[in-house]
Amino acid sequence: MYKFIFVIIIAFLSGQRTSEKIIARQGNVSFFSYTPVENIKAENNQVLSIVDLENNKIAVSILMNAFVFEKALMREHFNESYIESDIYPKATFAGEIIGFDPNIEGIQTKMVKGNFSMHGSDKELEIKVKIEKQNCVFTISGSFEAEVEDYDIKIPPLLRGNIAKIINVDFKFEYEAYEE
Amino acid sequence: MLISSLNMKLMKNRTIFYLMSFMLISNLIGGQELLDILEKEQKDTLMFTEATFKYSRITFGQSVQTRKNGTLDVKMSNRFWNTPAERSQSFFVDRINTRFALEYGLSDRLLIGAGLSTFDERFDGFLKYKLLKQGLKGNGSPVTISLFQNLSYFDDMLPYSSPGTMASSRFSFTSQILIAKKITSDFSLQVSPTFIHRGLVFNENDPQNHFSIGFAGRYKLGGHVSFVSEYYYVANPIESFDTYGPFSIGINWEVSDTMLQFMLTNAVSMVEDAFITQTRNNFNFKNPNLNVGFNFVYTFHLKNRLKR
Repeated sequence: MYKFIFVIIIAFLSGQRTSEKIIARQGNVSFFSYTPVENIKAENNQVLSIVDLENNKIAVSILMNAFVFEKALMREHFNESYIESDIYPKATFAGEIIGFDPNIEGIQTKMVKGNFSMHGSDKELEIKVKIEKQNCVFTISGSFEAEVEDYDIKIPPLLRGNIAKIINVDFKFEYEAYEE
Repeated sequence: MLISSLNMKLMKNRTIFYLMSFMLISNLIGGQELLDILEKEQKDTLMFTEATFKYSRITFGQSVQTRKNGTLDVKMSNRFWNTPAERSQSFFVDRINTRFALEYGLSDRLLIGAGLSTFDERFDGFLKYKLLKQGLKGNGSPVTISLFQNLSYFDDMLPYSSPGTMASSRFSFTSQILIAKKITSDFSLQVSPTFIHRGLVFNENDPQNHFSIGFAGRYKLGGHVSFVSEYYYVANPIESFDTYGPFSIGINWEVSDTMLQFMLTNAVSMVEDAFITQTRNNFNFKNPNLNVGFNFVYTFHLKNRLKR
């Protein structure tokens, strides 16, 4: 009977335990499109990301109309004609850092596997990331390539030369402790 | 005794089973849970609708849009029409009115511009200020409101006896309150109450001040092309000759930094006070009523927004 109560208490505690999470509120995501006609670069410094250190889950939420372009018109076209941010305001990523040990100080390189959703299309991604821990401050950075075709983004034939088929995406998140 | 111990063992197993399944489920839904936390974090930022119309003009009239800070629009607007003469020896078309204009965004809300028209010889300058922005998803203001003020100078030659020999009486003023709503991401409507003070009045029966209201809409046919239409109703029109409300249907086509606006209209002039009060023909397909209009706009960006 004592064993039974003990198990109940353990189960209760494990269910209730507050998981340790870290959050990045001013994460940086930038993307580049290089073509002979024009180079397009955009930056977003308000990207949200959260990591659960208990189970190595990671999530990222990118507000599409927070991207800043060199030209004001590029931003309008990006939101109005390509990404349609009225209908799809955000791109999100939810996945897991495989084999990540939050206790290791210094740099570790790990794979992140998960689902990236943008412009209503979902795609499974595997991204190599660099995780740096210094004095309990985590920084995650990396880059990946996104194919425009995968996300159902329509480019008119006249402008096909202006936008690259493969877009390079860079990201960097600095995390702090998350309090609910 | 035996039964009770067996029962207990079973219960223990069940507890462990529940515990295991709970941990498994929390593991599975972890990703979504984290996204929900991020959703909560993002909520308090108020967002505004962008691009209720694609350009600062819909066809001939002003839209609620201003341009972004550091944006210079170089603009050439044309209206082509034929005279009713059966035979004419003009090349291409009988008459052309062209307005050259420069428009510059002093801030994201304030647009300043100036232009000159060739056919009716009017110089015009204007200021447009975006007062209120429509919020997204029912938050904030339900409409976008801009204030517009223009001043135009009529520079055409007039007979010696006419009242327009004094330069000061050749100025006209137009004030507008532009109210627009982006109803869906494709469909926008605009209502524009307008007050016009005309400088030159040739007949004593004609009013000097006019009240008018404009209606405009756009429907996006695709990412880069939209269908637009506009109409102005004048409450107290000119008495001494017949005038009609200016009407247009058109297509706005945007290619990178270039904006092309094609339209069919009955308005000859491209300056507010002239086309609202002094459009002399109704809209139909006969000469000289039908004007084919073509606006060409090239946008220069004088400010790199990525440099801080």
